[in-house]
Amino acid sequence: MQRAPSLHFLVHPTALSILRSDLPKVSADVAEQAANFTVRRIRTLPSHMRIGVTMIAAAVRLIGGISPEQFVVRISHTHLPLISEYFRLIRSLSYAFIWETWPDTRHDGSTSDGSHL
Amino acid sequence: MNPTQPTQFWTEADSSSSCDVLVIGSGAGGAPTAALLAEAGFDVIVVEEGKWVEQGSVAPFSLEQMDQQYRSGGVTVALGLPSIAYTEGRCAGGGTEVNSGLYRRPPGEVIERWRDRWQINELDPDSLLSIATEVEQAIHVTPLPGPASKPSELLRRGAESLGWQFDESPRWMKYPNNDVRQGQRQSMTRTYLPRAAQSGARILTNCRVNKLHMKNTSATSAEVTLGTGKTARISFKYVFVCGGAIQTPAILQRSGLHKNIGNSLAVHPTVKLAARFSEAINIPDDVPVHQVKEFAPDLSFGGSASHAGLMALALLDQWSQFGSAIEQWRNMAIYYAAITSVGRGRVISVPGLKDPIVTYRLTRRDRELLRSGLSRLSLLMLEAGATEVFPSFRDAPIVRGRNDLTQLQNSFNAMKASVMSVHLCSTVAMGENRALCGADSFGKIHDTHNVYVNDASLLPDAPGVNPQASVMAIAIRNIRHFISHEKRNV
Repeated sequence: MQRAPSLHFLVHPTALSILRSDLPKVSADVAEQAANFTVRRIRTLPSHMRIGVTMIAAAVRLIGGISPEQFVVRISHTHLPLISEYFRLIRSLSYAFIWETWPDTRHDGSTSDGSHL
Repeated sequence: MNPTQPTQFWTEADSSSSCDVLVIGSGAGGAPTAALLAEAGFDVIVVEEGKWVEQGSVAPFSLEQMDQQYRSGGVTVALGLPSIAYTEGRCAGGGTEVNSGLYRRPPGEVIERWRDRWQINELDPDSLLSIATEVEQAIHVTPLPGPASKPSELLRRGAESLGWQFDESPRWMKYPNNDVRQGQRQSMTRTYLPRAAQSGARILTNCRVNKLHMKNTSATSAEVTLGTGKTARISFKYVFVCGGAIQTPAILQRSGLHKNIGNSLAVHPTVKLAARFSEAINIPDDVPVHQVKEFAPDLSFGGSASHAGLMALALLDQWSQFGSAIEQWRNMAIYYAAITSVGRGRVISVPGLKDPIVTYRLTRRDRELLRSGLSRLSLLMLEAGATEVFPSFRDAPIVRGRNDLTQLQNSFNAMKASVMSVHLCSTVAMGENRALCGADSFGKIHDTHNVYVNDASLLPDAPGVNPQASVMAIAIRNIRHFISHEKRNV
């Protein structure tokens, strides 16, 4: 029971930061739902992947705790193996959720008809 | 055939059960194994880790389907440089419930290569293809009764324009009223599992096999965990492990069986692109049936599911340049280049970890094939009429004409690409070549008396085509051999 809230604590803020940067016009509610979905999916990863993700997420969260949000966003574009795969995982899950749920979302996260609301 | 879900036979009060034959897994290997054994009079229990999901209850290729019918929600990776994303079905019927449904017979020369190099006794191409004919009737393999979808026709158009070989892959589908949009997948929950149940096989879903208990060279029982978390035991005379190319070696390793188990994983790595056309072409819930085989078996081209969520994934690696294309997703479709890799991977069970670690190493030749494959696929799309092509790798250029292909070739690096595979095999190769094979010519683990494998793990290497037909034909061959030799002992 302890693991679930800790993964949420480690991943959710990072996912929100990335979404707000990548999709600047995404609504707060959509970003929140996408970040929650991402955390739920990471909880179901194979055990060794979950351990690896947790370790990287903890390091990123630590950096995020003492640095401006823009710093986390900047390192989310790193090409370093493993670390880049963590950010790619977050983006993959979040983007897939957003565009499957609201297919007419624009590339900046907005919608023409406000259907996110 | 009645597709109704078999009644669960296990109750909370049960802590043990027994049978003649335990079949672990209910996919393309396990389901025919169970059906033929039950029809031959064996007392069979089938255990499946996933649940029974009625077809039509979840949208094809959706996130909900990933949740319900795939292992780990479809997020599984073979570690390497680059890592390769793969998916495994985890539900009654296994991968047959969720894959593309495209059917390809194993090529005769592949069967001969397997027979000769891995020293597989009595593996005759004609006999195996005769079994394939039976499979085609059982699962109703058929071409489309009408025109193919637009994304499929575009593949055909591009190939015709270039003079490249292509064909339509038949599918295991029934089409009520000959309506191509009403296709009903003839997967294992519609075909072999009901047959097994009708002949008395007991099918237990939500049941994970932790390990087999071995006594000398024989397995005596399986320790299982039920959906409730309760642990139980199933005793048997014989066991067939049919959990697929990842879970089968993992179960065997957890049971103490290691010789040539899990060290020769083969896959068909693929790279993809999104192609934009001037009109709406997207079919969100189906895949193209045409495949381009000009460069087969090394290289094949086909189409993928392409709903908006998947399209966003295809554009993700270069979002700052490609992202705006998502607003035109209805004019777009995703296509792939698949290679026959000579690299190999491993499946490694680590004590204390529930899931095995999977690795894969692409060779230099594999990487070059991926590069040329993506370039040729881009050319194919241009010839099909694409106005823009978006290759899925970091720093990729948008391809708008042939002149852009050189830049694509120069900027491609497999390390920057989203490489994935859905065809996993060869982790317990069959044959008498003891240096290569974990199982004998009919799937029995070497140096054991009653432990068999009967799934994609047995294929000695990747067949270069969709492997389900190969898996099913070999599984039926092996189980008939087993029945003819072991029936008198039960």
